Amino acid sequence: MTASQLFLQQLSNGLTLGSIYALIALGYTMIYGVIQLINFAHGEVFIVGAYAALCVMSMTSLQAVMPWWLLLGLAIVVAMFVSALLGWVMERLAYRPLRTAPRLNALITAIGMSFFLQNALMLIFGATDRSFPNWVPAVRWDIGGVTLTLMHIIIWVSSALMMLGLHFLVMKTQLGMAMRATSQDQKACYLLGIPVNRIISMTFMIGAVFASVGGVLFGLNYGTINFHDGYMMGLKAFTAAVLGGIGNLPGAMIGGLVLGILESMGAGYLSSQWKNVFAFVILVIILIFKPRGLLGERVAERA
Amino acid sequence: MIKKVTVPFFVLLLMCGVGCGESVPTVKIGFVAPLTGDQAPHGEDMLNAAQLAIQHAQAEGAVLPGYQLELVALDDQRNPTQAVSAAKKLVSDKAVMAAIGHLNSSCTMPASAIYYQAGLLNITPVSSNPQISQQGFSTFYRTCATDDLQGPAAARFAINALNARSIFIIDDMTTYGRGLADAYQRELEKLGGTVLGHEGLAQGDKDFVPLLTKIKSMNPDLVYFAGMFPEGALLIKQHFELGMNSQFMGGDGLYDPVLIELATPEAAEGVIITTIGVDVHQLETARAFVKEYEETYGPIGAYSAYTYEATKIAIWAIRQAGVMDRSAVLDAMKNLKDYPGLFGLQNFDEHGDSLIRDIGIFEVRDGTFVSIKSLRFE
Repeated sequence: MTASQLFLQQLSNGLTLGSIYALIALGYTMIYGVIQLINFAHGEVFIVGAYAALCVMSMTSLQAVMPWWLLLGLAIVVAMFVSALLGWVMERLAYRPLRTAPRLNALITAIGMSFFLQNALMLIFGATDRSFPNWVPAVRWDIGGVTLTLMHIIIWVSSALMMLGLHFLVMKTQLGMAMRATSQDQKACYLLGIPVNRIISMTFMIGAVFASVGGVLFGLNYGTINFHDGYMMGLKAFTAAVLGGIGNLPGAMIGGLVLGILESMGAGYLSSQWKNVFAFVILVIILIFKPRGLLGERVAERA
Repeated sequence: MIKKVTVPFFVLLLMCGVGCGESVPTVKIGFVAPLTGDQAPHGEDMLNAAQLAIQHAQAEGAVLPGYQLELVALDDQRNPTQAVSAAKKLVSDKAVMAAIGHLNSSCTMPASAIYYQAGLLNITPVSSNPQISQQGFSTFYRTCATDDLQGPAAARFAINALNARSIFIIDDMTTYGRGLADAYQRELEKLGGTVLGHEGLAQGDKDFVPLLTKIKSMNPDLVYFAGMFPEGALLIKQHFELGMNSQFMGGDGLYDPVLIELATPEAAEGVIITTIGVDVHQLETARAFVKEYEETYGPIGAYSAYTYEATKIAIWAIRQAGVMDRSAVLDAMKNLKDYPGLFGLQNFDEHGDSLIRDIGIFEVRDGTFVSIKSLRFE
C-alpha cells in the first residue's frame, strides 16, 4: 500500500463516519435555526431510530415472508416514523411550554430529556450491547489499491440523497419557506398567518427522520448498538454542527464530513489514542479564527 | 387533621422498626462488578456464581451461629468512580464481613484502598493487573493469575507456536489493558519479535477502521489486543471486513461467548485468546460446580468459577473467625492453608496472590472457544 493509497483509504473511512455525523448534525442545526435550542436529546433520537429498526429486523415472522431488502426498507420506514413521533412528542411536551422562558431553562430541559431517554432505553432494551444484523452483502471493490465496500457506498449515497432532498425541501417548497421565515422572525410569521407551532413541530420531526436514518446506517455499519451510543454520537454531531456554523444547513453537512475526516486522519497518521483530542484541537483552532464556524457568515444575518 | 394522619403513620413505622429488630441478624458479603453497561454480561456471570456460592454455604449450615447469610450486590459500571462509591457503601455497613470484587483492575485498584482503610477482607476474583497486590494491602487477596504471567505466556505462544515475527499491539488504555499489553510487549522484544507499533483506543468507541487501515499498511503477522470484549468484537469484525490476513490475538477480557456473537462467527474464526486460568471444564475438582452452574444459568462465563471460589473462601474465613469481627476474618484468612477449591488446593502468597497460576489458550473454532493449551506456573 503506497502513501497515496493509504491517504485515499483513510479519506474514505472518514467520509463514512462523517456522513453519519452529518445526518445527525442536520437535526441539531435545524432545531437551533428555528428556536435557538441545542436539543441535547437529539443523540438519543438517533439511537432510538436504530433500536426501532432492530426491533423490526429481528421479527422472525416478518423474516419468513419478506426478502431482506424489503424488510430492511420497512425497518428504515418504521425507524423514521418512531423517531419522528418521538421528536414531535418531545417538542410538544418538553420544549413548547418553555418557548417563552429564558433560553437556559430549555437547555437544561434538553439535557434532562437526554438522560431520561437514555435510561428509558436501558430499561427497555437492557444495558448490554445488542448485535445488529447486517444483511447488506459483503461486496468489496478494489479500485487502485483502495478498498470500497457496498456498505460504504450505501452510506455515502443515501446520506447524499437525503441531504439533497433536504436542500430541495428547505429551498423550494412552501414548508421550507415557512421554516426559513420562522427562523428569521417568529412574531412576523404569526402576523402573516404562518402556523409557527406546526412549523416548529415539523422541524423537529424532519430532524428526527435524518437522525433515525443515521442510526440505522450506524447499526448496519458497526454491527452493535448500545443505549449510550446516542450520547457520544450526539456530542460529536453537535461538534460537527458547531464546526460548520450552527444554524446553517450546508455547514452541518460540511462540518460532519470534516469532523469524520479529521478523526480518521488523526487516528491513521498520528495515534488512535489521540483521535478525539486531534479532532477537538482542530475545532478549537477553527473557532478561534472563525468563531461562527466554517460557513458562519450566513448566520450573522439572523443574529 | 394532619395529626390524625401522621399518628397512625408513626405507629406503623414503629411497628416496622420493632419487627425488623426481631428478625434474625445477618452477616453480609458484598459483591461489586459491572451489572449494567457494556460489560454487564461478565458481571452477570460473576453475580450468578456468587449467588450459587451463597446458596451452597447456606445449605452447609449457619455461617455464624444465629446469623443469616446475605449477598449485597452492587454495580460499578466498570467505572472507577462508581467502584469507589460502591466500596464506601460496603465498608459503611457494619454487617459486611467481606467484599468480593471488582472485575476491572482500574476499579479494583482504587476500591482496594477503601477496603484496606476499613480493614475489610477484599478478594478480587479476576482483576489481573499485578500492581494491585503490590500496594501492600493486607486486606487484599486474588484468586486468579496476573498479567505478568498472562502477557509473557501470550507472547511466547505468538512467537513459538504461531510463528509471528512482526506484531502490532493495541490496548484500551485502562489499568488492565495497558498493563497486559506492556507485559506482552516486553516479552515479545526479549524473544526477538518486532513490535511495529503500540497504540491505545478509547473504551466505548466504535470506529477502529482508521487505526486498522494504518496497521494493514504495515502488514504485520499478528495483531494483539489487550482489552475487553465490546471493543474486541468490533476490532475483530473490522479487521475481518478490511480483508486483513494477520492473525488476531487477545487477552482474557475477550473470553466471553458474546464476543463471537458481536463480532460474527465468520470474523471471529481462528482468533486466539489467552485466559487467566485453564478451561474449567477440564478440571476434575470443578466438575460438580460447572455442571450445576450450567444447568441453572446456561453456559459458564469466563469469570464465574473465580467468583465462586472467591466467595466460598470469604465464607470459609468468616466461619473460621466465628464472630462478627472484620479483623478476626482477616486473621482467619492469613491462616488459610491448602483450601480445597475448584482449582485444586488453594494457597496465597504474602501479597495475597493465589499460588495456583494457570494460563489457558483458546482458539475460536466454528463459533465457540476451544481450549488448545493449558499452562501451569509454579
